[in-house]
Amino acid sequence: MRNLLLILTLTYFSYADSGNILGKTTQDVKPVDNQLYIQECASCHFGYQPGLLPQKSWKALMANLENHFGTDASLNQKDFDAINNYLTENSADKAKKYKRSNKIAKSTENITTPIISILEIPYIKKEHQGIPKKLIIQEDVKSLSNCISCHKTADKGYYGERHIIIPNFGKWED
Amino acid sequence: MKTIFYLLIVVNLSFGSVLDDYLSKLHKEVQSQNPTFEGFDFKRGEKIFTSVHKGKKGEMVSCVTCHNNDLKQNGKNTFTGKIIEPLSPKANQSRFTDIAKIEKWLKRNFNDVYVREGTALEKGDVITYIIGKE
Repeated sequence: MRNLLLILTLTYFSYADSGNILGKTTQDVKPVDNQLYIQECASCHFGYQPGLLPQKSWKALMANLENHFGTDASLNQKDFDAINNYLTENSADKAKKYKRSNKIAKSTENITTPIISILEIPYIKKEHQGIPKKLIIQEDVKSLSNCISCHKTADKGYYGERHIIIPNFGKWED
Repeated sequence: MKTIFYLLIVVNLSFGSVLDDYLSKLHKEVQSQNPTFEGFDFKRGEKIFTSVHKGKKGEMVSCVTCHNNDLKQNGKNTFTGKIIEPLSPKANQSRFTDIAKIEKWLKRNFNDVYVREGTALEKGDVITYIIGKE
């Protein structure tokens, strides 16, 4: 009996590690799994998962990389096509089995003008309400777009409250 | 062990030649406009790298703002907070080993700081500064 329990526990953890338990995803969004995207996009900023924006947003964002939030992030055609495909194929509205992607997709489905900034997604905006400004603009965070400064497991696709530690403040609970 | 040793030699050689090829391409480009051109200059490059300009975002920036004055140390993207690995090949061997990457970043970063692309002369000068700075 004890052996069986051990096996079950081990099985659980080995699945939990891959983010998949009994076919259900445990992550909030699907972690980034594209080397080119990491190289080209995450060299300047946190590697936002494609599941953080709906497809229409990625299309609009990619259409203006020369003016990408005030910087030039232009790509050659080959890299552009590959990254554009990766983002649109894994966008929030195509990854609804992930909890937060599903919420993001729902929160934007009736918005016709594409939202370019993740921070402007109504669901994301709501979740970040009430955080004192001084905690956001401090040097260790700089802006809400720096996910991983507080969401310590953001790169693994986990954004839940128990993984939040705000620098020079500590755990955050609503 | 021997294999690693040979591999390192090959990497080292290829590093030199990629950058040399690129610099001689820029050199020819400048020379075609200016037949008396004598070569790229560390001092001019230093000015390009360290002088402050109203950048693409409307803020006063220089290359130093993100890359740090000590090119053997990490830099930090002033807008996103993301750490940038050392720019100097003396501290980071992966720098200047891929022409496509060199061109991409020169284009992007000249636009970010100077709100235009760099000329062949400016690109050659600034590279000369970056690879030569102690």
